[in-house]
Amino acid sequence: MTERADKTIELRVLRYNPVTDEKPHHQSFTVPYTSDMSVLQGLQWIKDTIDGSLTYRWSCRMAICGSCGMMINAEPKLACHTLLRDLAPGPVTVEPLNHFPIERDLVVTVDDFVKKIESVTPWLIPKHPKPVSEGPYNQTPAQMAAYENFSACINCMLCYAACPQYGENPKFIGPAAMAILQRYDGDSRDGGSALRIDAVHGEDGVWGCTAVGACSDVCPKAVDPMHAVNQNKMNTALDYFLRFLKKRDTK
Amino acid sequence: MSERRPYVRPMPRDWWARWPFRHYTVRELSGVTIAIYAAVLLSGLVALLQGPAAWDAWRGWLASPASLVLHGALLIAMLWHVRTWFQILPKTMPKLILGGTPVPQRTITLIGTSVAVICSSALVAFVLWRPF
Repeated sequence: MTERADKTIELRVLRYNPVTDEKPHHQSFTVPYTSDMSVLQGLQWIKDTIDGSLTYRWSCRMAICGSCGMMINAEPKLACHTLLRDLAPGPVTVEPLNHFPIERDLVVTVDDFVKKIESVTPWLIPKHPKPVSEGPYNQTPAQMAAYENFSACINCMLCYAACPQYGENPKFIGPAAMAILQRYDGDSRDGGSALRIDAVHGEDGVWGCTAVGACSDVCPKAVDPMHAVNQNKMNTALDYFLRFLKKRDTK
Repeated sequence: MSERRPYVRPMPRDWWARWPFRHYTVRELSGVTIAIYAAVLLSGLVALLQGPAAWDAWRGWLASPASLVLHGALLIAMLWHVRTWFQILPKTMPKLILGGTPVPQRTITLIGTSVAVICSSALVAFVLWRPF
């Protein structure tokens, strides 16, 4: 039996058209909803029936692609993972992710985020490379537990929208990039941490973090980026103080 | 193709005073109480160096209502600092894996807080009763 959408909720959506608008403004829509409808479905209803120009990113509808991150009532959330019934009676404010430039309506510029992910060399660099014929690189469950949660990042950027230090300093490497870095640095099969340490150093590296912790609070995948960032404060400090010893080692 | 003109929203200067960052701001400010209490102890040390008169004056100030209010406020802030310090402890230490599974962060916080409470209580008991 299909539930009838006899309840309505007001969505106040931040609109911005780079061609016609000097700056963004809110527009209200009254959306009929059923108890199983997400904010994303509310936006889709608006686009289908009221205003086809409403622009937002989405893909999987099941909290795994990381496309539909937006500020819902000032909190970074996945629109597909937030039910309208939990926000009743409304109104619900829907805005693009904080700290990122707005391209149009709810779509933000992701270039800076993508560059940061690229900068941490996000792939496995085997400690001891061997041909396929010699079999797989084995790992114990304990070795996997050391990095497993960091591998769950879906690049949704909610943590960057939550992080006031990224808002203050867009050069700050930020939470997700450090979680992804730790996913590889913490992997027993990986030997590439020397390549990644430059992204960790300095004010624009982990020291830009003041342990606000909002990144871990908003993460929809329990990645705990705050843990990754702060764990690396120890790594960068050790690398700084032991750099003379290390040089001797390599000679 | 439509024109690109990305709009950058300004960061509010008082973000630290707003929800949801107030908790963080109070936690960090409670750390300042350590510096204030260190200054109180240091002033006592300076008074001790200056001689008996200065030492007695400092002891007198300690017993004044203003000092008692200050110490009460410092104690509350310090207790809050202890609580929140151990809350973020598991996020600032390397991941702890025991028997193949990560130790829950709540367990680490609980153990740390318990050790702090036991040590502090033991110290207070020692000072109050002076067994030797």
